[in-house]
Amino acid sequence: MKIYYYLTIFPIESLIASNLEPTKFGSYLSTGSKKGSYENNIFIEIEEGCSNFFDWDYAKKKCVPKENGEPKHSVYLSIYRTLENTPIKALKSIYLTTKDGRTLEIKPEIFDNNLSEKKFYIYQEICPTRPLIVTSLKPKDYVKNITNKENKTYIPTIAFADIKTISFHSENTGSLGPLYDRNIEHLHNCVNEVTLNKDKLFKIVERSNVDKFSYQIIGDGIFVGDNQTIIFYRMISVEDLRRYHYDWARSAQIF
Amino acid sequence: MLAIVFISVFSALAFAAGNYFAVKRKDPGLPIMREIADAIAQGADAFIRHEYGVIFKIGIIIAIILGIIVSWYTGIAFLIGALMSSSAGWVGMKIAVIANVRVSNTARTTKSMGSTLKVAFQGGSVMGLSVGGFALLGLGFIYLTFGKFLNQLSEQQLTIVTNWIGINFIPFTMTVSGYALGCSIIAMFDRVGGGIYTKAADMGADLVGKTEAHIPEDDPRNPATIADNVGDNVGDVAGLGADLLESYVGAIISSIVLAAYIFYTSKSLENSITASLTIKLLKYPIFFASIGILSCIIGIASLLIRKNIKKPHTALNFSTWVSEGCTIFFTLIFTLIYFKGENFGILAFRFGAISPWLSSVIGIIAGIVIGMLAEYYTSYDYNPTKNIAAASNEGASLTITSGLAVGMKSTILPVIILGFGIILADFVGGLYGVAMAAIGMLSVVSATVSVDTYGPIADNAGGISEMSKLEPEVREITDHLDSVGNTTAAIGKGFAIGSASLAALSLFASYLYTQAGPGHTTGYSLIINLMDTFSLGGAIIGAALPFLFSGILIDAVAKAAQQMVMEVRRQFKENPKILSGEEKPDYRRCIKISSAGAINQMKLPAFISVLTPLITGFLFGAKFVGGLLIGTTLSSIMLAIFTANSGGAWDNAKKYIEQGRFGGKGSSAHAAGIIGDTVGDPLKDTVGPSLDILIKIMAVVSLIMVNIFGKYNLVGLLQK
Repeated sequence: MKIYYYLTIFPIESLIASNLEPTKFGSYLSTGSKKGSYENNIFIEIEEGCSNFFDWDYAKKKCVPKENGEPKHSVYLSIYRTLENTPIKALKSIYLTTKDGRTLEIKPEIFDNNLSEKKFYIYQEICPTRPLIVTSLKPKDYVKNITNKENKTYIPTIAFADIKTISFHSENTGSLGPLYDRNIEHLHNCVNEVTLNKDKLFKIVERSNVDKFSYQIIGDGIFVGDNQTIIFYRMISVEDLRRYHYDWARSAQIF
Repeated sequence: MLAIVFISVFSALAFAAGNYFAVKRKDPGLPIMREIADAIAQGADAFIRHEYGVIFKIGIIIAIILGIIVSWYTGIAFLIGALMSSSAGWVGMKIAVIANVRVSNTARTTKSMGSTLKVAFQGGSVMGLSVGGFALLGLGFIYLTFGKFLNQLSEQQLTIVTNWIGINFIPFTMTVSGYALGCSIIAMFDRVGGGIYTKAADMGADLVGKTEAHIPEDDPRNPATIADNVGDNVGDVAGLGADLLESYVGAIISSIVLAAYIFYTSKSLENSITASLTIKLLKYPIFFASIGILSCIIGIASLLIRKNIKKPHTALNFSTWVSEGCTIFFTLIFTLIYFKGENFGILAFRFGAISPWLSSVIGIIAGIVIGMLAEYYTSYDYNPTKNIAAASNEGASLTITSGLAVGMKSTILPVIILGFGIILADFVGGLYGVAMAAIGMLSVVSATVSVDTYGPIADNAGGISEMSKLEPEVREITDHLDSVGNTTAAIGKGFAIGSASLAALSLFASYLYTQAGPGHTTGYSLIINLMDTFSLGGAIIGAALPFLFSGILIDAVAKAAQQMVMEVRRQFKENPKILSGEEKPDYRRCIKISSAGAINQMKLPAFISVLTPLITGFLFGAKFVGGLLIGTTLSSIMLAIFTANSGGAWDNAKKYIEQGRFGGKGSSAHAAGIIGDTVGDPLKDTVGPSLDILIKIMAVVSLIMVNIFGKYNLVGLLQK
């Protein structure tokens, strides 16, 4: 039985070998086999043998079908510093799994920095840390900055989502989930700090924002990059979601 | 002249049958759609059979008791009433489960909002026409058999007789009261049982499916989703139809009782009315209702033949307006001819022959205004509901608080309309005018029930589209029609409450009249002295009764919903392949839980409503029951409006948020909105509608039994 390798980046970071193909793995990951859990999960399929950091032989030995022929659901290969030890070029499609186990595949594309410019950006860091950031830096510049080894603090590899922005004074927000529910004044102040002070490149809105992050709020897409390479997972347009991925979009509460 | 009645009955039932088969002939669609629709149909059918099985036994016992202690014809009329009401409910449920999948398939094949609306409305019209048709069929049969062949409508029999245990009544009034009681008993079980069923399933589906497992609405992985759809048919279709049929019959019979007693109790007065005029007054309501039904046929047809429907809500409103306009016009002509040259004697007909017609127009206008007020308080196009949505931003407590406030405030305007409507109708046509106002409001019952039944059919169609995974644009059509149905449902509830209130108040006047005995022919004062301690005590207890009744109903829904929650959790836990979509859930177990919950829990509230006036009557006498009826009626009107509008406003506030306001789906405001909606669910769909029945059934039971407990009661015995 084929072995797939999944780099989970949200809500925990790990590398899992599994006999389940991506949509079934997503369903298993989100709803569990018998534990009755319901959580959003984001994972990326990666190429086997892409890094010496992981024990691929252990995976092959352990990730075998059960005696009754059922596929092996999961064999954990790593639960720490996983993303940074995975080469960016080994990343395949990303999968966004909803709380009830629906999975959406987004294929990677090389980021050519052609997104429309904004006065400020809001980024939800997904892995390895998970703060909510307001910044004046475009995605590419943000990756460069955060992965720059010359900085006092840096991350070798980062995954983050570009977040939709809203008008602060309208009730017609669209379906955005809980991100902007509370402390909107604080977010407003953070935006002002970044936009009015050119020296302030970014500001942390919240240190950890796992509970409030939902797929509805993703703007242009998800970026994964190190100091050399950025892979962009472009969020599927609402029209295409309606046409081709309606069940996932309903499950993600976009419709 | 009775031919008018049978022409309208035949036309209504023939049109209903035509629409039934027209809908049935349509393609039910893909195998998966048919499979889901069959599961819904089987669930609804099994529940109705089980429910009617229980009611049948109770009905037979009541008929025998009535036959023995009142008169044989009361017992027979009771059975006819029960048969007519259950037939209407059964036909309505049947067409709803046939139409749902065909509506869904029409949306799939035509992608046209207008064509899909027509199929849903055509299905709804079968229920609407059946309600009017069966109600009048039974009444027509009673007029013909008991009135004409057994001469109960002759001058000789328009007199108070005394039966073998010394109970006094006018034979024809007791016959029609028995008929009304038959309708009431079915309505009570249909409304209460259906209300408990639908909300237990709905809450069970939402609480685990939506809230815990985060499954979208109508997702086939949710084990309770078929039960939820079954609930729409047994609660919102059969229950609503039986409820309005009962109001319709109640309004008609109250005018009959009033006319008969006005005649008898003023016989010896100088300006008394003649027997021939009395007989005309006894027949006028049924003729008026017949013209109303013929007008509704025109109104319903006006929508079905319309092309290029772009705005479903406007098209549905148009159909009702055509029905109302035709009713007003044709009944005016009829009234002028029917009462031409009559001397109305002591009747307070201030505007002569057209007085009863004017009173009925007051009722029609009051019904329209009350419906509009219900829409104002519950639609998200207006501020009350928008404000609840805005309050949800600050958490569930404020959602609940603001929803309660909207519901409470919403009682005043409809009650003012009702109050002034009653005063005005009385001014124009006396007490008979008040009864005619109720008949006027209900004369377009076939049109309003058609629109009301369209809602749950569209809701089911949405569910089937969703479960069958039809294309998004199909689901958008059925979703849009469903959302229009939510608004029409709120209007329908307002209308049901308004009409039930008027019917109950005229039944109350009849209750006072029926205490007249042989020899009371020189005028009879309808006085209830609230300074009399028995009347006052009855009123206080009566005012509390709807709260007890509502509490029991909410408990019943909560108990059944809890069982449903446990079952859905169990299925998810024991079979993970349900959530992954690899295996189907066990829908039948959820259907059984809802059915068993509804059947077990419906008995206590039903018995309370029937037995309270009886027990208190035999203990404390007629004055106490008079107070009890007043207290129950007034308190029920407020509580019914409050619960219907709070629940409707919470429901639509949640929907307003879901359309992308205040963070939309998944936001804290949405979570608060869901809590508000869940609290409001049993209020608007179980408690409010059941209160409509409570007031009418208590009034009808009292009307029939007042002469018995008026004569035989504990206090009377002790005083002797």
